[in-house]
Amino acid sequence: MRDFVLLYVNGVEHQVSGDDAFLSLSDYLRYSLNKCGTKVVCAEGDCGACTVFLGRLNAPKSGIEYIPVNACIQYMYQLDCTHIVTVEGLKVDGDLNRIQQSMVDCHGAQCGYCTPGFIVAMCSLFEQCDKGEKSCNVTRQEVSDALTGNLCRCTGYEAIIKAAMSVDEKEYKRLDNLYPSQTLISAFKKHHDEPVSVKGEESEFFKPTDVKSAVEYKSNHPGVVIVSGGTDVCVNLNKGRIEPKNIMVLTHVSGLDELKTSGNTVEVGARVSLRKLEEFFQETLPEFHHILWVFGSPQIRYAGTLAGNIANGSPIADSLPFLFVSGAEVEVAGLKGDRRIKVNQLYSGYRKMVLTDDEIIVKIHIPLPAKSTKLKLYKVSKREHLDISSFTAAISLERDGDKISNAQVAYGGVAAVVLKLSKTEEFLNGKPFSLDTFRGAGEVAMKEIMPISDVRGSKDYRLQLAANIMEKFYFETADEKELVCP
Amino acid sequence: MSVVGKDMPHDSAVGHVSGESIYIDDMPSAKNELLVDFVGSPVACGHIKSVDYSEALKIKGVVACYTYKDLPGINKFGPIIQDEVLLCEDHSSFIGEPIVVIAAETRKALAKAKKAVKLVVEELEPALSIDAAIKKQDFLDKTYRIARGDAERVLKEAKHKLEGTCIIGGQEHFYLESQAALVVPGEYDQLVVHSSTQHPSEIQQVLAKVLGLQQNQVVVVTKRMGGGFGGKESQATHPAGMAALVALKTKRPARIIYTKDDDMKFTGKRHPFQNNFQVAFDDNGRILALKAHLYADGGAAADLSTAVLGRAITHIDNAYYIEHADVVGQICKTNYPPTTAFRGFGGPQGVATIESIVQDIAAYLKKDPLDVRLANLYGTTERNTTHYGQLLKHNTLPQLFEEVVGSSDYRNRRKLVDKFNSESRTHLKGLALTPVKFGISFTNTMLNQANALVNIYLDGTIQVSTGATEMGQGVNTNIKMLVADEFSIDPKCVIVMTTSTEKNNNTSATAASSATDLNGSAAVNACQKIKRSMAEVAARHFDRVETGIGAFPDRIVFADGHIYDERRPHNKLKWQELVAMSYRERVSLGERGYYATQGIGFDWSKGQGSPFLYFTCGCCVAEVVIDRFTGQMKVERVDILMDIGKSINPGINRGQVVGGFVQGMGWVTNEELKYSDKGALLSYSPTTYKIPNIQDIPAALHCNFIDNPNNTVNVRGSKAVGEPPLLLGLAVWAAVKDALVYAGKGQVPKLNLPATGEEILMRLTELKKTTLAVKSKGKEPAKIS
Repeated sequence: MRDFVLLYVNGVEHQVSGDDAFLSLSDYLRYSLNKCGTKVVCAEGDCGACTVFLGRLNAPKSGIEYIPVNACIQYMYQLDCTHIVTVEGLKVDGDLNRIQQSMVDCHGAQCGYCTPGFIVAMCSLFEQCDKGEKSCNVTRQEVSDALTGNLCRCTGYEAIIKAAMSVDEKEYKRLDNLYPSQTLISAFKKHHDEPVSVKGEESEFFKPTDVKSAVEYKSNHPGVVIVSGGTDVCVNLNKGRIEPKNIMVLTHVSGLDELKTSGNTVEVGARVSLRKLEEFFQETLPEFHHILWVFGSPQIRYAGTLAGNIANGSPIADSLPFLFVSGAEVEVAGLKGDRRIKVNQLYSGYRKMVLTDDEIIVKIHIPLPAKSTKLKLYKVSKREHLDISSFTAAISLERDGDKISNAQVAYGGVAAVVLKLSKTEEFLNGKPFSLDTFRGAGEVAMKEIMPISDVRGSKDYRLQLAANIMEKFYFETADEKELVCP
Repeated sequence: MSVVGKDMPHDSAVGHVSGESIYIDDMPSAKNELLVDFVGSPVACGHIKSVDYSEALKIKGVVACYTYKDLPGINKFGPIIQDEVLLCEDHSSFIGEPIVVIAAETRKALAKAKKAVKLVVEELEPALSIDAAIKKQDFLDKTYRIARGDAERVLKEAKHKLEGTCIIGGQEHFYLESQAALVVPGEYDQLVVHSSTQHPSEIQQVLAKVLGLQQNQVVVVTKRMGGGFGGKESQATHPAGMAALVALKTKRPARIIYTKDDDMKFTGKRHPFQNNFQVAFDDNGRILALKAHLYADGGAAADLSTAVLGRAITHIDNAYYIEHADVVGQICKTNYPPTTAFRGFGGPQGVATIESIVQDIAAYLKKDPLDVRLANLYGTTERNTTHYGQLLKHNTLPQLFEEVVGSSDYRNRRKLVDKFNSESRTHLKGLALTPVKFGISFTNTMLNQANALVNIYLDGTIQVSTGATEMGQGVNTNIKMLVADEFSIDPKCVIVMTTSTEKNNNTSATAASSATDLNGSAAVNACQKIKRSMAEVAARHFDRVETGIGAFPDRIVFADGHIYDERRPHNKLKWQELVAMSYRERVSLGERGYYATQGIGFDWSKGQGSPFLYFTCGCCVAEVVIDRFTGQMKVERVDILMDIGKSINPGINRGQVVGGFVQGMGWVTNEELKYSDKGALLSYSPTTYKIPNIQDIPAALHCNFIDNPNNTVNVRGSKAVGEPPLLLGLAVWAAVKDALVYAGKGQVPKLNLPATGEEILMRLTELKKTTLAVKSKGKEPAKIS
């Protein structure tokens, strides 16, 4: 068993062991390596100031794939066999790269504290983009989408958008050209499949490479905290809400990376990132794609997983209402083998799942809705992007001529768990597809939920949304000719 | 060719984009450095019965714990009224108010020590709202009033009247770099304090006082801030004070860096206001009289509240002539962190009040709010004196209105909005134009002074030092350009140095939008002193080398890096040659410049005067679309037009305008401070406190400027631009209110600020439920609070 984390920072190899392996990447960069270009503001992945590149072997293991992540919520034990590139590592032959220069020329930096994070996130847009011969500049929407995870308090973003749009894609020198990938690829290939365990002063972590040893470790270490993308767990670590003795890292468990369609069902491996899912559903199911698009930020979506969103089990988890109404199932592995559980039967209480101590989620099965199904997903939050929901909903039904059938309704943010609204469903089934029906359904829904007042919204607001969302569904799915003015 | 007016990049831009700019937490740590944190009050109002940190001291790596008893000086300070303590004595007055300072060698030890401190605090009844403070009649400072005419009488006689209350929320600064300080002790109890502050002199004065030192023993240094926005003016004293206490006591460098959570929870914010008003107006919507009573939530201590309230009272007129005005203001004492300076400084809350009133008048009279605004707009030759008696010179507001109404196609878009709202079953649109007229100068006349130090070295390069602090706004770049331009040399030869009280004494805060006005002018004055001496040297030189022209310094010209006598322009000295020559002739190549704004004054006892050197003005047209079912709102288009005089650096100014607007837009839309019923801030991190994101910026954002060469009272004809554009964000709020008028079918809608999705949805729901309440235009004033 290897007893250190192997990673590269701006092309230089580091072997990290002992307490350093339990630091956040941002602390390691700033306080152990004195690379202070990476700034920490919120320490919870909500501002992007700490954005760095994380490079790892791509799926065919033929190259290095660089993704933007928040260094404050990546812990060192998650980073075995990765190449971290920070803002300090982006210059080309000692000069500013094209994007850095453009930010200077366009007044994209004012106080400068968010700037390193913006630079990395902006470079990642160019890292991913391949415009071919035709258009060489990125669009405004592409820029906004790439920079959703970065907050700036000074510029109002206009100058930053301009800076990105002024750069010709061909002038950007990619990381593969700055850091020859051959050394990295061979090092990662060699060490990728080695289990790792490091003991610190107060805790230890284990990085298994197969499901079996993961299940065994979990059953032998009650209270172990499982880290995959870490986008929730690491926030809790930073805020001192959890102080785990044992940590298990799923980053290199084989067999969890697959994303495919099997018949009418989409199979999502537990390690598949939300970002991959977002791309996948763009064509397959635009309604769910939209929810994934407004889910966190690119940095969060590249790191986070659907399995993590399910396991975290928040009543306002954005993916859950859809999984509830679509009849999705999680596949879990345990000492006794695998089993499947319907997502809408997975939770026994606030953030509590019905899994046994040894079980881990390995896959999610999502049946795709039929073409005739009318499906709408809603996320109501204070800010459209990168915000935790105040209220979520999924409504799905069939129309049998004028009559509604097979209504499925799930609301989030209205109780300790996401709720399947059976009385509302019952009310809808068999009724005519009309404004009156949906107004009636809204009233039933209001009685079926138990929202509370909290920082994201009052009880009354949530009750009102519960009613109104039914009306909204009507107006969004009705044929133009049957619409009634409210 | 003059460098002033050119679009030069920010002087730190290269460092910013490469991650090489250094902030306080980036400064390398010394071997013996200590990390500092504190334990604060667990309750909003409490009697501290006992403090026990003995267990904390036992933790490995913990070096010291201190309470107020360890302060060598006087534990009492404040920028206007001395009512604040560095460390609580037997009473605490807001959650997180520092009680125990802890110093440790590692972050881990520090975190453990915080948990090991035991406090026994008896919880007392706190005041957690403006209403609670009014009920207790607990106010900070006295009542302030500005009045003109006879508002009482006119209100009695008027045909149309409205009365109500404007409820205006606070705002978190959300500078990206949290409060930070690093204090390095020196010999004889001298301290070098690196502070992320907008006001090094205040830090110096407060630290000397609480630590029992002379002011000359404390040097405060500010390289830069990762944002300030007012939040690092007086609020930077606590972190610096706690670190300084540790450094002084332990003789070890001490660093304090607030976490974002702690910074948001425990430091002061923009003042919430609750403003009662009565307004009388004629059939055209022209305001005949306004009576207003402003209540500002000052939090637990006076801080800068007096000045903030003053600016609210002097800005309640905004762009409108109000013949009979009676405006009274009080500062409520509550158990929140002392509210403090924030870009706009009371101005936004005054302006929000009158803009809300204007929207109400228009809704009541069923007019386009633009026409009501035009009916009230300050004139150029008449109706151009403010309620406190200042004459508007070169008033550009009518020009700004005319141009932006045209360029934004307002009238036509109003028709389109009418049509959209009559047809759409799912969405609602709103359109509004709001202006800003922002007075430039500190309202406290004394503060309008600055000094600068300009040193020229033998290779011709220059260092400039002023009291201005750089927080991203570009003041250093402006000053660099002004200095380069004075000598007509390449700006690359000029560096604006780290701000330090060692070089510039008794400076004013970098605030009131006036850092360039004051410090730039002082730097220019220093340059001109040196230039006069150098011109004498040059005159003697040309007299020697040319024949029969005599030595006349007035005829010496500095241009394009060269110096010549205007009568012999072919014979030039290089800048570097003249520098060397001046040194050889024993002429001083370093000078201090001083500047004090002339022609301003104000008498608060009468509420009359001319406190402002000039006004920065602008207009903004905003269009919003609202989801009728969820209340979610999107800004679709924004047109900004401003008069900022002649720009020193147009690129930097544009950044200030757009950035200020977006910050204002955040304040009026999604930035909501939510507290528990115990007075604890619940929205204390970006997860729950939502500042505008890149996706919130309208795709159509037009920002333009008018030419105005008339502002000759200020340096290079420029106008201050830091705060005014923030107030343009109110156009978005007014547009939401406009949309509600359509939904209310004739009712005068209520809308608190901020207009969050929840606020909008609840107002829409309310409008649906209530029937037409405002029918009579009779004598009873319509209640719209």
